[in-house]
Amino acid sequence: MKSWRDPSEKTLALLLLAPAFFLIALIVIYPVGKLIYTSFFDMQLSGGARALEFVGLRNFEDALKDKEFWHAARNTVLITAVTVPGALVVGLGLALLANLPFRFKWVVRLSLLLPWALPLSFCGLIFAWFFHTDYGIVNDVFRMLGVRDPTMWLLDPSWAMAAICLTIIWKTSSFMALILLAGLQMIPRSLYEAAQVDGATRWQQFWQVTLPLLVPSIVVALIFRTLTALQTFDIPYTMTKGGPGSSTETLAMLIHKTTIDYLDLGYGSALAVFMFLMSMLVTAVYLRQIGKQA
Amino acid sequence: MNNLWTSGRLRLFAAGWIVFNGVFPVLWILFTSLKPEAELVQKPITWWPHSPTLMHYQHAFTEQPLLHYLSNSLIVASLSTVLSLLVATGAAYAIARLNLRYRQWILTAIVASSMFPLIALLVPIFEIMRSLGLLNSYTALILPYTVLNLPVCTLVLVSFFQSIPRDLENAAMIDGCSRFGALWHVVIPLAAPGVFTAGILAFVNAWDEFLLALSLNASAAMRTAPVGIAMYQGEYTFPWPLISAALIVTIIPVALLIALFQERVIGGLTQGGLKG
Repeated sequence: MKSWRDPSEKTLALLLLAPAFFLIALIVIYPVGKLIYTSFFDMQLSGGARALEFVGLRNFEDALKDKEFWHAARNTVLITAVTVPGALVVGLGLALLANLPFRFKWVVRLSLLLPWALPLSFCGLIFAWFFHTDYGIVNDVFRMLGVRDPTMWLLDPSWAMAAICLTIIWKTSSFMALILLAGLQMIPRSLYEAAQVDGATRWQQFWQVTLPLLVPSIVVALIFRTLTALQTFDIPYTMTKGGPGSSTETLAMLIHKTTIDYLDLGYGSALAVFMFLMSMLVTAVYLRQIGKQA
Repeated sequence: MNNLWTSGRLRLFAAGWIVFNGVFPVLWILFTSLKPEAELVQKPITWWPHSPTLMHYQHAFTEQPLLHYLSNSLIVASLSTVLSLLVATGAAYAIARLNLRYRQWILTAIVASSMFPLIALLVPIFEIMRSLGLLNSYTALILPYTVLNLPVCTLVLVSFFQSIPRDLENAAMIDGCSRFGALWHVVIPLAAPGVFTAGILAFVNAWDEFLLALSLNASAAMRTAPVGIAMYQGEYTFPWPLISAALIVTIIPVALLIALFQERVIGGLTQGGLKG
């Protein structure tokens, strides 16, 4: 019999994998099951203990009739549609610039890492101060450019949404740039030399060599970005708290408010199931893409 | 055009733009934190602080329990990082080294766990923590953070283990080491840079997390720094200088980590991103 110190490979593998699977089961798998289960119940924890009542699909029907749900969903889709391509364009620009040969590479790299390392909630606070109507630097620059009336950034629904989107683009574009920069650096130099011999201009080289070879990195970055954009919470929460009114409320903020503030877990779960399905759709597209590449 | 592209001036412009883009918001908050109250509400606003003061830094610690928030953040982030590393090291070693069927599937399953939207998991996690009486406890954050960081830690570590020659380990086992012994004495020391990289990523993620910390640990005594600082704002007041000083203090540890280990951080991030 083998001693416990030298178990067979199979036993050892199971032993080593067990903690990871236990934790994932506890914090991901079981909660997903519980989420779907709770979404079929009326479960309100506020106002004393009420019996758990099975209500079938009523929470989902309520959501589809709920104006606030549609409004929050629209905001979420808008933020995703604006910030994902926005971060890609800005991130690609930063990556192309960062790929130039510099002497002080570490300063450039650090400048790309800093926005990544900053908590999202801090970005919200910092940019709320940037966009402050009276004392913000954005309006100060506008004033110097000759704009008379200060823009009411966070006090006006459309401007507030614009400010939030700009903040998200700033925060996420540098991570995008890092991923794309890694992709750029994997493109062999010889390809550019060959293109030059063939007389291709820089512009042609970009469209014919750089971009096509960068597509795999771009696809991966876009899908990750889309998944996080759908869950946008921290930045609008710290910038506007969803205001003015509920004009900048996202789906994640509505779920948070319903569950944590109003303790309406049944309805909150139904809303979260919608979020879950949206993310799964994006993930499915992602996995198909990976399959194509492999 | 080629001359323009490779010219020193363009390179300088490019570097300048990247640095400005990345650093300016933080620099602006640093300036704000150094301006006395009167200078902040002066119009037109000043850019460079005219009469810099460290007053707000003092107030950040005396008027608000910032030190307490920071220690909460430190406890939660470091414990969850250590746990993540322990669990991920085991899993990554099994995936990279042991004779395992379906190893690619197992890795995919671990990575896929990060694809679930956190906001959707929040609702049941809140329900579970509430029924276990774990709301407003370190455990409520440490467990989820550990799991959130498992995928990236496992990915980084798998590729590190794969880069260590198998022969070294076999030699140790021939010399009489058990498999655990070989793992502990040979593989782990060689994989130390990988463990370290994964650790930094996990720590920064946990240090920065907001949604779970806000929802599960909302009581004043249990807030982490990001949540505590976000709550400085009252219904109608925004104590900007105080917030700015607290932001700078909270950013410093993470900024130091990425400044010192930037190459590793970028390596880890792109590995996690590209392979995922």
